[in-house]
Amino acid sequence: MDKFRRKLRTRVVAAVSAASALGLVVGCGGSDGGTGGGKKDGKVTITMGLFGVMGFKETGLLDKYMKEHPDVVIKADVAGDEQTYYTALQTHLAAGSGLKDIQGIEIGRAKELSDTQKDKFVDLAGVAGTDHFLPWKQSQVTTTDKKVIGLGTDIGPMAVCYRRDLFEQAGLPTDRDEVAKLWEGDWSKYVDAGKRFKQNSKDDQVAFMDSSSGLFNAMIYGNSQQFYDKQGKLIYATNPVVKDAWKLASEAATSDLTAKLRQFQPGWDPGLANSTFASTVCPAWMLAHISEKAGPKNKGKWDVAKAPKGANWGGSFLGVMEKSPVKKEAQDLVAWLTAPEQQAYLFEKIGNFPSSQTALKMPEVVDAKSDYFSGAPIGKIFGAAAQEIPDEQVLGRKDGTIKDIFSQGLTLIEAQHKSPNEAWKTTDERIKKAAG
Amino acid sequence: MAISTSTPPDGATDIAAEHQRRRTLLHRLDVRGAPYAFVAPFFIVFAAFSFYPLVYTSWISLHRVELSTLNLMEWVGFDNYTALWNDDRFWNALFNTFTIGVLSTVPQLLMALGLAHLLNYQLRGSTFFRVAALTPYATSVGAAALVFTMLFERDFGMINWMLSLVGVDNIDWENNKWAAQSAISSIVIWRWTGYNALLYLAAMQAIPRDRYEAAAIDGASRWQQFLKVTVPGIRSTIVFTIVLSTIGATQLFGEPLIFGQGPNGVTGGADNQYQTLGLLLYEEGWKNYQMGRAATVAWAMFLLLILVFVVQRIVQRVLTRRT
Amino acid sequence: MTTDSIPVRATDAGPGTVRKTRKATPPGERRRRLFRHPGAGRQHHAGPVAYILLGLAALVSLFPLYWTMVAASTDNTRVTQTPPPFLPGPHLLDNLGKAWQDAALGKAMLNSLIVAGAIALSTVLFATLAGFAFAKLRFKGRNILLMLVIGTMMVPPQLGVVPLFMMMTELGWGQKLPAVIFPTLVSAVGVFFMRQYLAEALPDELVEAGRVDGAHSLRIFWSIVLPIARPPMAVLFMITFVHAWNDFFWPFIVLDMTNPTVPVALTQLSAGYVRDQSLIMAGALLGTLPLLALFVVFGRQIVGGIMQGAVKG
Repeated sequence: MDKFRRKLRTRVVAAVSAASALGLVVGCGGSDGGTGGGKKDGKVTITMGLFGVMGFKETGLLDKYMKEHPDVVIKADVAGDEQTYYTALQTHLAAGSGLKDIQGIEIGRAKELSDTQKDKFVDLAGVAGTDHFLPWKQSQVTTTDKKVIGLGTDIGPMAVCYRRDLFEQAGLPTDRDEVAKLWEGDWSKYVDAGKRFKQNSKDDQVAFMDSSSGLFNAMIYGNSQQFYDKQGKLIYATNPVVKDAWKLASEAATSDLTAKLRQFQPGWDPGLANSTFASTVCPAWMLAHISEKAGPKNKGKWDVAKAPKGANWGGSFLGVMEKSPVKKEAQDLVAWLTAPEQQAYLFEKIGNFPSSQTALKMPEVVDAKSDYFSGAPIGKIFGAAAQEIPDEQVLGRKDGTIKDIFSQGLTLIEAQHKSPNEAWKTTDERIKKAAG
Repeated sequence: MAISTSTPPDGATDIAAEHQRRRTLLHRLDVRGAPYAFVAPFFIVFAAFSFYPLVYTSWISLHRVELSTLNLMEWVGFDNYTALWNDDRFWNALFNTFTIGVLSTVPQLLMALGLAHLLNYQLRGSTFFRVAALTPYATSVGAAALVFTMLFERDFGMINWMLSLVGVDNIDWENNKWAAQSAISSIVIWRWTGYNALLYLAAMQAIPRDRYEAAAIDGASRWQQFLKVTVPGIRSTIVFTIVLSTIGATQLFGEPLIFGQGPNGVTGGADNQYQTLGLLLYEEGWKNYQMGRAATVAWAMFLLLILVFVVQRIVQRVLTRRT
Repeated sequence: MTTDSIPVRATDAGPGTVRKTRKATPPGERRRRLFRHPGAGRQHHAGPVAYILLGLAALVSLFPLYWTMVAASTDNTRVTQTPPPFLPGPHLLDNLGKAWQDAALGKAMLNSLIVAGAIALSTVLFATLAGFAFAKLRFKGRNILLMLVIGTMMVPPQLGVVPLFMMMTELGWGQKLPAVIFPTLVSAVGVFFMRQYLAEALPDELVEAGRVDGAHSLRIFWSIVLPIARPPMAVLFMITFVHAWNDFFWPFIVLDMTNPTVPVALTQLSAGYVRDQSLIMAGALLGTLPLLALFVVFGRQIVGGIMQGAVKG
C-alpha cells in the first residue's frame, strides 16, 4: 500500500504542479490529515460524524455536555441518511483524511469495520465506567483480538404494534396480554391470527400487516446466527432459521395478509395515517415513527404486545479515531454519551432503547408508558424482549446488504407475483454476487 | 526594386523589413499557437482533475478491491470484464438504459421542439412563458425526484387519485416495469424539456425571414415550412441536444435511485425492473463497495458510448454516400 | 477561408453531426444577413390554441414546484390524505424558518454562491475560448482533440471520487471550497455547446476580416467573438451555475457540515428515525428559491440577449 500510495502521491504532485505552473492554482497548501479536533487557548475542540437516528445533537445532549465542560467545544455533523454517511466514511478511511474525532457506527457496518479498519479506531476496552453494557451488544464491536472499537448507544428489541379498533372489528382480542397469548412462542401463530383477521374483517381494504419483510426480519434476528457463521462463512442457504423465516414470510405474502408496503419508504407513512394495516412488527425505536406518522387522530387506537420471540433490530455505536489529537477527551465524551443516564434520557425523549444494563433497570425506563399506544408499559415490554435476545449475535460483513436482498426477494412475491421458489432462486443468486 | 538591391543596404528599409519579418513571424506564431493556447485551459484542468482519476479507474478495474481497503488490491486481470459479460444484470441494465433512454429522450426533444415553436410566436407575456418553461431545470434531481415520487405514490399519490377519477385502477408505479420506467422518464422529461426548448428557440430566432418567404412563395404550408426551414435551420443545435441527451440517458442514475427509495432505488426495483447502467455502477461501488467491479461497469459504459457514436458515424457515411 | 469554406464547415461540423447537403450561400448574401433586423425568424402572432398549449406547458412546469410549496406548508398527516391537498396550509413560514435554522442555511447559501459563481464564470470563459478555437481556427489535431472533449463527457463522474479525494487531501483542500471548485472549472459540455453555436453563428468572413486588419487571435476573440457569443454565454452561465448549485455527490464527500454547500446542508433535515416530510420539502424549496430568483432576473437577460445577438445562419 505504502509503495502504491507513494506512487500515487508523486503522480498527484506532478499533475498538480503542472497545473500550478500555469497559474491555475491559487493560494493555500499544507496537509490536512487530521480529524478537525484539537486544543487551542485552553479550549478543546472535538468533532463528531453522526448519522440521523442517533439523536445526540437533536435532543440537546451535546449542549448539555458543553455546559458541564466549559472548556470543550463539540462540532457535530449529522448526515440524514446512513448509506450516504457510510460512503463518505469509507472514502475518508480510504484516503486517511477527512475523519472526525468521533464517528458513529451502525450495527450493519460493525463487522466490516472491526474486520477491516480496527487499526484506525481507538481500543475502548477498559475505559472507566463502561462496564454496564449488555454483553451481546459489546461483543458486536469486539475484534478477534479483543479490541473494542466502539461503545453501544441503543438497541432495537422488538414487539408487535397493533390497532385495537381494527382487531376488534375482526373479532380478535384487543387486550395486549390476550393479544400476546394469540401468538405466544411461535411466529406462525402470528400468521394464523392474520388469517383469522382476513376471514372476519369487515373492511377488505385493511391488511393484517404492513409487509412480509418485517416478519422475516423479526424471525431471523431472534437467533444468534443468521446469514453468517462464526467463522464468517455464508450459511443463509442452509440455516434452518432463514429457511423457516422465508417460508412463513412468503406464506404471509401469498395469502394476501400484507399491505405490500415497504417500511420507512414513502408509501408506508400514508399507510399509517390512513390505517391500511392492523399490525406491524416494531422495534422500540419505531414507536416514535408510528405515533408521528399515524397522527393524533389515531391516538389511543394503537397498542403494543409482546412478540412471540425476542429479537433485536438495529442499534449503533460510537467509535474514536486513532488519528485524533484529542483521543482522551473524545473517549470521555463517548463514555458520557453512552452512560446509563444519557441512554435513559434518549429513551424518554425519542424512544431509542438503552443498550446499558444499568439503564434498563432505571425506573424512568422500566416504568415508561406510552400514552399514544393506549398506555402500554413499553419499558416493561421492550425490557423483557431485550432479555430474550440471544447472548451471542453473530454478525457478518454484508449483513445489511443481504437483509435488503431478502426484503426485495419478498417484494418479488408480494408485489410482482413471483412464486416463492422463483424468488428464492433470484435472491440466492443476488446474494452470491453481492457478497462474493 | 532592381535598383534598390544593387545599392548598399539602406538602414531605414532594413529596419522596416526586419519589422515586417518579425510581424509575420509573430503572426504565424499567433495563428499556429493561439488555437492551442485557447483549448489549453480545458485540457490542463481536465488532465489535473479528471484524467488521472480516469487512468486510476482503468487500473482498478483489473483488480478486486473494496472502497475502504484500497491497499488490498488483488490482481484479477480481465476477470471483472468477463464476469460482467456473463452477468444477467448487465444485459438487463443495458436494455433498461436503452428503453428508459428512448422513453425519456424522444418525447423530450419532440416536445421541446414544439414548445420552442410556440414560444417563437409573437406573444404577450413571452418572458413569463419562457421562465416558466425553464423553472423545472432549476430544481435539483433530488428535489424533483422526491416530489415526483410522492405524486406517483401507489395508494395515496396525486396521479393515481386523478386516474381514479376517470375510472383507472391504482397503478403500482414502482413495481410495474413499464409504469416505473415511464414515471422515471417523466421526471427526466419534466426537468429538461424547457431547457432544450430554450436552446431551440435561440437557434430558431436566428433563422432569417427570407428563407420562410422563399418557402412561402414555393407554396409551402406552415407545417412544411416548419419541416423544411425551421428544423434544418437549427440543425446543429438539435445535434447538440441529441448528443447531450444520449450521454445523459446513458449515465442516468439519480432519478431512478431516488424514485426507488432506499434499497430498491440502488438495485432499480425489487426485480431490477428499472436498473440502469448508472445504477448498476452505483450498486457495485456504493452498495457492495466493490470498486473493481464498479470501474468495470464504468469502462463498459464508456466503450458503449464510443460504439454508439462510431455506429452513428458509419450510418451517416453510408447514408450520405447514397444520396 | 472564404466562400469554399462554407461547405467544408457544413460537412465538417464535428462528430455526431447529422450530415446534410446544404447549398453554399454566396458570401454577399451572408454579409447582408448580418445586418438584418434581429429576430427575423419570428413571424406570426400566436393564436388562442398556442396560448392554451403554452398555458398547459407552464402549468405542468410549475405544478410540481407549487406542490412542493403546498407540501412544505402542511403537516405530515395532511399531505398523505386523499384527495391530496391543493391549497397551501398554515405552516409554510414555520417550516421554512425551521429548515433554515436546522440546516444552517445562511453559510451554505454563501458557499454555494461562491462555488457556483466561480465555476460558472470560469466555465463560460474557458468554454468560449476553446469553443471558438474548435469552431473557427485551424490547427493540427483539431478533430482528435474535439473527439477527446466529447469523450470526456461520457465518463461517469462518480468513479474518480477516491483518487480525487486523495488528491484534495494532498493539496490541503479537504473540507475547503477549492476542492469543489477546481475539478469543475471547465466543462466539456460547455466547450461542445459553444463550438456548436459559434460554428454557425460566427461568419468566417468576420474572422478573416479581422486577420486582414492585422488583429491577433486574442484581439479577434475579444472584439469579434465575444459580442456574438454573448447570448450562448449567458445560457451557459446559467446552466453551469444551476448545475454547480445542485451538485451533491462530490461536495458531500469532500465538504462537511461546518462548511457545506446548500445540498450538503439539506441532508441534515432528513435526520432521525422519524422524518418530517414537510420540513424536507421546505428545505428543498429554500434550496431552489435562489435559482428561481436568478431565473426571473436572468431570464429576461437571456431573452434580451437572444433578441439582439441573433446572427446565426
